[in-house]
Amino acid sequence: MTLNRRDFLKVSAGTSGSLVFALALPGCSGIQTGYREEDGAWKPDAWLELTTDNKVYFTLARVEMGQGTYTGLTTLIAEELEVEPAAITPKFAPVASEYRNPLYKLQLTGGSTSIATSWMPLRQAGAEAREMLILAAARVWEVDHSECTAFEGHVRHPNGVDTLPYGKLVSLASSETVRHEVKLKPQSQWRYIGKARGRLDAGAKSTGTAEYGIDIELPGMVYAVVTRPPRYGARVKSFNGSDIQAMPGVLKVLEIERGVAIVAGKYWQARKAQQKLKVEWDNADALGLSTNDVFADYHKAADDDAGVRERDDGDFADAAAGAERVLEASYEQPYLAHATLEPMNATAWYRGDSMEVWAPTQAPDLGRIAAARVSDLSPDDITINTTFLGGGFGRRLTQDYIEEAAAVAYSVKTPVKVIWSREEDTRHDLYRPAMLHRMKASVSGGEVTGWHHQVVGPQILDWYVRNAAPAQYPWSPKFLYDTLGKVGLMAEGIATPKDISAIEGAIDYPYKVANVEVRHTHTDPGVPITWWRSVGYSHNGFAAETFMDELAHETGKDPYEFRRALIAHQPRHREVLDRVVAMSGWKAPAPSGRARGVALFQSFGTYVAQVVEASIENDGIHVHRVWCAVDCGQVVNPEIVRDQIEGGIIFGLTAALHGEITLQDGEVQQSNFHDYPLMRNYELPEIIVDIVDSDETPTGVGEPGVPPVIPALGNALFALTGERQRKLPLKAAASSL
Amino acid sequence: MALSLTVNGEKRTLEVDGDTPLLWVIRDELGLKGTKFGCGAGLCGACTVHLDGQPVRSCSTPVDLASGKSVTTIEGLASRGDLHPLQKAWVEHGVPQCGYCQSGQIMSAAYLLKHNPAAEREDIVAALSGNLCRCGTYSKIIAAVESVASGESVDREGA
Repeated sequence: MTLNRRDFLKVSAGTSGSLVFALALPGCSGIQTGYREEDGAWKPDAWLELTTDNKVYFTLARVEMGQGTYTGLTTLIAEELEVEPAAITPKFAPVASEYRNPLYKLQLTGGSTSIATSWMPLRQAGAEAREMLILAAARVWEVDHSECTAFEGHVRHPNGVDTLPYGKLVSLASSETVRHEVKLKPQSQWRYIGKARGRLDAGAKSTGTAEYGIDIELPGMVYAVVTRPPRYGARVKSFNGSDIQAMPGVLKVLEIERGVAIVAGKYWQARKAQQKLKVEWDNADALGLSTNDVFADYHKAADDDAGVRERDDGDFADAAAGAERVLEASYEQPYLAHATLEPMNATAWYRGDSMEVWAPTQAPDLGRIAAARVSDLSPDDITINTTFLGGGFGRRLTQDYIEEAAAVAYSVKTPVKVIWSREEDTRHDLYRPAMLHRMKASVSGGEVTGWHHQVVGPQILDWYVRNAAPAQYPWSPKFLYDTLGKVGLMAEGIATPKDISAIEGAIDYPYKVANVEVRHTHTDPGVPITWWRSVGYSHNGFAAETFMDELAHETGKDPYEFRRALIAHQPRHREVLDRVVAMSGWKAPAPSGRARGVALFQSFGTYVAQVVEASIENDGIHVHRVWCAVDCGQVVNPEIVRDQIEGGIIFGLTAALHGEITLQDGEVQQSNFHDYPLMRNYELPEIIVDIVDSDETPTGVGEPGVPPVIPALGNALFALTGERQRKLPLKAAASSL
Repeated sequence: MALSLTVNGEKRTLEVDGDTPLLWVIRDELGLKGTKFGCGAGLCGACTVHLDGQPVRSCSTPVDLASGKSVTTIEGLASRGDLHPLQKAWVEHGVPQCGYCQSGQIMSAAYLLKHNPAAEREDIVAALSGNLCRCGTYSKIIAAVESVASGESVDREGA
């Protein structure tokens, strides 16, 4: 049977242009769905847009910062829509309630949640759109829809010969109602999930055409740089504004909440003028401490306050009292910077009754709050345009850089781009917090009978809630913003989720030990902190998996056998541990002069075991090989999973080998890549990643590669030198320090 | 001051302060945004361009040093609309993650292969150790350059 053209046109005419409706939720912008006749575009839902000229657009609600959402999420919707992923054009999402991350009720990309939270909704969206297209085709052909199939952007007639491209069907499909149960494709029919290779953004990122925040260009745009107080919390007392105003190209010098902004026609003019800027700071409320004070304070806090009991299995005190031995160790980890290669930047344009912002941000709805705070606008008047991100790692969840650009734009009323220098980016970061861990274990008869972990340090929501709470209620009046934050914290664990940023990876200690106690001594030195790739797991992993290694040594057991005996009840842990041991040839001796260390750690729902092989050569730590077994459930794109795990390992090794931010009298001492070094090409170990074949629900991969590599390297150095390092970063010669 | 330079084969005359880093001239005056700002101190390599055929850190090169010279940026690497073999290898290997450093990586690698077309792994590592990648794409970068150096990278366009 062939297409009945007359019927086709009749149905088309009867339905096109109708049924445009908006799904509006209170306080939310609402994404308009339906068919738009003027440009022949059909939006079946908040994500997809199909056009009469056979284009498919996909609104990407989780930003692309390297972790691969651009490819991975597109693959999910492509699979069910029956369109090749490469034939879909992703667009970055505006702020709308539909695009919130369901785990956080905020539109943010973080916590290794993008695939996990999109796994069902995006496939369902793709499937529903596909079914509507099939229904439309079946109506045209006057056949049973269940006998039609979809493939590569077409619906195929039951005769197996005739086809209709989606573009011809969009207008019709928009008025179809799916009354039958829409089934997701079984795994056996997947064409892209688990098979997809490569990245949809690789072309743009290899030719210099991918647009990052820093690349935004607007008519009449000017540039600004901001001088911030060297000591956090200081305020501007005075500055030589008139001198600066007279410098070449300078358009305006203004004080903003966060410092002094210099606006100039060109970026370099602003930077040159900044060199002559002299600011006198009021340090009354400024941070004055040094890193040594932080750790001294942590130890004192740990002594004074045993902290809140966050886990209590059995009775550790009892186990310790009756034990042959109680082993104790303290671990310290420094502040760490994010060091995204694209420094913080944002561009804003205030137009009197509205503001538009262009920024690489992981949380555009918090960005609106940040911009609303410093202008006379409400969040609904502010549009955030998200770009590609030149790295995120948690840094761009905090919107201080958007706040600055908005404050300057509000004053100058022309488009203005604020760019941070590398030095500013390093010194005015919000850091991975410095942390102290006090560990105790009771041992009797060569067996561990008790485990006690006291985590000492701040928690991140205390800092993050400032803009996060108002972003959840964007219709609330601005004078309530700070109150919302306080209420959010007071209600923590009752009305709002409990902040586990300090204790994640400690409370979920997986080994079979009868008496386990985990406590958190909450103390905050006042140094700005935020989420940093793998967050609490990044420090708890080091403490827990190094102490496990110490216990293995103390009980005279092989570090693998010791863990294996205590994890036999956890099949997914066990599998990755066994695999990495087999891959690495753990049971055979390491090559001469080298030693190996192992670590096993679950984070963000993903199980990771790693073995690191290292040596010390020419007074430096040399990491030769890293083996990694990972179980992240169903894999959408094996190549991206591998890349993320490998990138996480390098991120972790960078912290283990080099990472340390220190403060002296309140001032951050590091500034650029010479004193805050990142791992370079010549330091790269061979990395071998094995992914467990699984059909469990997918879990995150952006962060879980980071935590275990740090203790695995430390454990390898112990095996090599016999000296235990309990402080990061690791040193080639521990005893000399 | 007015100065002239040739950028990607095109002669350009500009009115710009001579101490302005070449990077900001390329990006803001000429609108070529593929060259990136990372550190401003020649430490990360994101701003790497070729100046008279030599790789330089454009963030630390005052534009007056480029006066009268020829600059090649990532946008000028493709020839007659055909991507450079390294760019093709980057896509084939799916090298970029965030992608921000990749223009600089490719420019450093392009210089290497021009002068050492059969570069070995250790040559590649040495030539690219001035280019930082925070995402950790190093192994894929090395593999992509090796594939071009060994001729194993298939030129699908048949150029």
